[in-house]
Amino acid sequence: MIGTEIKTKELTISMGPQHPATHGVLRVVLDLEGESVVKCTPYVGYLHRGVEKLAENRTYLSALPLTDRLDYISSLSNNIGYCVAIERLFGIEPPDRAKYIRTIMAEMTRISSHIIGVSTHALDIGAMTLFLYSFRDRERLIDLFEMTCGARLTVSYPRIGGVRNDVSQEFLDKLYDFTEEFPKIIEEQYETLIDQNRIWLQRTKGIGVISAEEAINWGLTGPTLRGSGVPYDVRKYAPYDAYPFVEFEVPIGKNGDVYDRYKCRMEELKQSNWIIKQCIEKIPKGPVMTPDAPKFTLPPKDRVLSDMESLIHQFVLITKGPIAAVEGEIYAATEVPKGELGFYFVSDGSGRPHRMRLRAPSFVHVSVLPRLCEGALLPDVIANIGTIDIVLGECDR
Amino acid sequence: MNIIETILFTGSPNVILNVLFVVIKIAIVIGVTMLHVMYATYFERKSIGHMQVRLGPMRVGYHGVLQPLADMIKLFFKEDIIPAAADKPVFKIAPIIPIFATLSSLAVIPFFEGFVIADINIGLLYIFAMSSIAAYGVVMAGWSANSKYSLLGGLRSSAQVISYEIAMGLSLVGVMILAGSLNLSEIVKAQQQYWHGMYLIPQFLAYFIFLVAMFAETNRTPFDLPEAESELVAGYFVEYSGMRFALYYAAEYIGMIIMSSIAVLCFWGGWTIPPIIADAVPALNAVPGIVWFLGKVYFHMFLYYWVRATVPRYRYDKLMELGWKVLIPLALVNIVATSIIKYMS
Amino acid sequence: MTIKDLAKKIFLIEILKGMALTLKMMFTHAVTRQYPEEKRPPFPGSRGLHALVRKSDGTARCVGCGLCAAICPSQCIYVYTSEGPDHTKVVDRYEIEALRCVYCAFCVEACPFGAVALTDHYEYSDYSRDAIYMDKEKLLSNWDKFMSGSKGEQYFDKFWRPRTEDFTTPENQPVFRGRRPES
Repeated sequence: MIGTEIKTKELTISMGPQHPATHGVLRVVLDLEGESVVKCTPYVGYLHRGVEKLAENRTYLSALPLTDRLDYISSLSNNIGYCVAIERLFGIEPPDRAKYIRTIMAEMTRISSHIIGVSTHALDIGAMTLFLYSFRDRERLIDLFEMTCGARLTVSYPRIGGVRNDVSQEFLDKLYDFTEEFPKIIEEQYETLIDQNRIWLQRTKGIGVISAEEAINWGLTGPTLRGSGVPYDVRKYAPYDAYPFVEFEVPIGKNGDVYDRYKCRMEELKQSNWIIKQCIEKIPKGPVMTPDAPKFTLPPKDRVLSDMESLIHQFVLITKGPIAAVEGEIYAATEVPKGELGFYFVSDGSGRPHRMRLRAPSFVHVSVLPRLCEGALLPDVIANIGTIDIVLGECDR
Repeated sequence: MNIIETILFTGSPNVILNVLFVVIKIAIVIGVTMLHVMYATYFERKSIGHMQVRLGPMRVGYHGVLQPLADMIKLFFKEDIIPAAADKPVFKIAPIIPIFATLSSLAVIPFFEGFVIADINIGLLYIFAMSSIAAYGVVMAGWSANSKYSLLGGLRSSAQVISYEIAMGLSLVGVMILAGSLNLSEIVKAQQQYWHGMYLIPQFLAYFIFLVAMFAETNRTPFDLPEAESELVAGYFVEYSGMRFALYYAAEYIGMIIMSSIAVLCFWGGWTIPPIIADAVPALNAVPGIVWFLGKVYFHMFLYYWVRATVPRYRYDKLMELGWKVLIPLALVNIVATSIIKYMS
Repeated sequence: MTIKDLAKKIFLIEILKGMALTLKMMFTHAVTRQYPEEKRPPFPGSRGLHALVRKSDGTARCVGCGLCAAICPSQCIYVYTSEGPDHTKVVDRYEIEALRCVYCAFCVEACPFGAVALTDHYEYSDYSRDAIYMDKEKLLSNWDKFMSGSKGEQYFDKFWRPRTEDFTTPENQPVFRGRRPES
């Protein structure tokens, strides 16, 4: 046997698209040497539905439900992002009350998305009880969505120039009760289970470290970026809806590791809770649909059959879309729970978007996965997938 | 002369009767243990369910009490799939090893005063030997399935079992020194000399080490790396289905019962109750020892579930660190301290 | 590291706290429901199975303008009309492919007459696709089954949006009523 070398080769394992820890249908091909990762290649596209192309064949109004299905655990934020972009494109200003309602709803989705993000992350690392507790709390928010929007997940609630319907008194009361109780639940249950737990600390501290500069270069946004200490938040930098009227802080981390990103999300839960509380306290009276843009908003139903102009608007808006649309293009970003969700529209003046392009945070975050995983151990890959908090519906579009 | 000839040709009715008696005992122990295994799964699902503000199994029978039976029937009739690329003989043998090893371990466990299948003097050593053998089943399963996930699970398991076997063995040395015996019945009896009737108090450090090692030895959370669900899907038995899967499952639960039994026998006074309580309330002496024994065993089983519902999973290298750098040195310290105390008194 | 931290580390305080929490939760009520036996009534306006409004004379209110089909994002509504004897528009077929529907209720919003509705009925799974392919008769009978009486009127009052009040400031608009007293 002298002179013959034993050839060794890395063990290649394909993790996903069916795998309990890949948050849907992400496929990660890992080259392992023992347990350490030599190479990590994520493959996306298993959930591709062509949302961007589909939108080109829909009017501005009827493309809205497509955005529900991007990041399906925070669908309302996507709806809002879509509406904000179109409103900016055509210069429509929603009324204040609608802005407050949207902000409340967006923060509710942020809470429900973050508690799922944190708890599925914990589930991947092995602490499964938190997962069930978070679903219990999420259920309350989802019930409130159903009460107001008529659906639990795919709400399609905001409209161009406002929201679909006003909120009820019961909704405001119940939501306010929730905001009173929620910080206590976080403190007593979520944080007791994992915050100081030594195993959790061992699994998260110093794992998946990315410096502030590098995080910016990779294009990270949302809590994934803020964990590295960059206080970038679209809600502060380019405020939309009612964010200029409320106070809140942007929590940032220091070390840029999994633990700091987790802490950022936990802190954002409290901030979102605070924003909701302020919004409920301040919510003004007023219309929920703008009366100034009759060529973009559907006319009132009680006037459609009695008013000729309304009837024409109804028919034209629905069959052709808003024909008053101007030519132009816009990039509008909103802060969804995962990061910065950008909509880029090109309008050719017809009632349909000429081009819709999405800047999906999950897609950008998946690209950083090899950077975080290479050189780490196999269990850290799981921790890293959890920490970038991706939803493949948004990533693959 | 071998034993069969002795039985058959000496014609001594006593010998035949004894053998018959042992066979009946074995049948009872295995039967009762299998029943306990079935209901240990039910107990686990119920208690973890309630800890997670849900209900657990509710469908089969009143509050799901027949669920284990339904599971068993389902597993029994499921298709037995053998991967095309598997090493078939090894693949088939592998699940038999852990169940054989764990069931054999039951032989030396005294369930109550005088009820033990084989009252041998090296009871503890025998159990260690058997649990080491069980690890082979895991390694063979990991290797033979020809699946990368099960291979990783098998590798992790072998490393884990080997390292924690040491900590576990060393933690029990203190008990052996104090009792002066390896026979489990003797160990239980030796504990009666204290007013509290258990080694838990003088050997608290050893008990803690044993607890941690016991979780690791049976591959339960937080040390369930070999079967880490979110990483390796199911670890070493990912390719098994039907009855073979059920064998692994049963072996895991029997392993848990055995480890709990050891903890009870070596630290909690087995089937006895603390003399101070027995003296204070003499009526308790009428309660059969098996009740105390099972109660204590079930407390430890509950502890398994309770911890599983609470903590995350360790990482592979941290697990090794904990085993080699913390538990083994601590166990050695415990041995030295115990020896000194024993020598002084 | 202070002595307190050390003690915390040695006695596994944080893990014991977690275990105390799980044990405590074990004795609270479960929040899950035993679904088929124990149902939560859907909120009014919850978007479920489709229905076509039946007028008091027994015919459908739908006139076949096709706006619902035009706005439908998943394009699952098919309306076929023809000319009747006295030059009226007759709706021959009105079909909704419920399996493709995304339940956005845009059809309700598009309809100028309030002729289509989404009921709050959500349990209509079946073994064949044909059973869930909703033709006109099925849609009308859905109305009778799930929206009969005043429920239908209330539905259109509340969920047929937008209305004039959405563009103005109605009275009694819900606002924050102050912290409710502890009950």
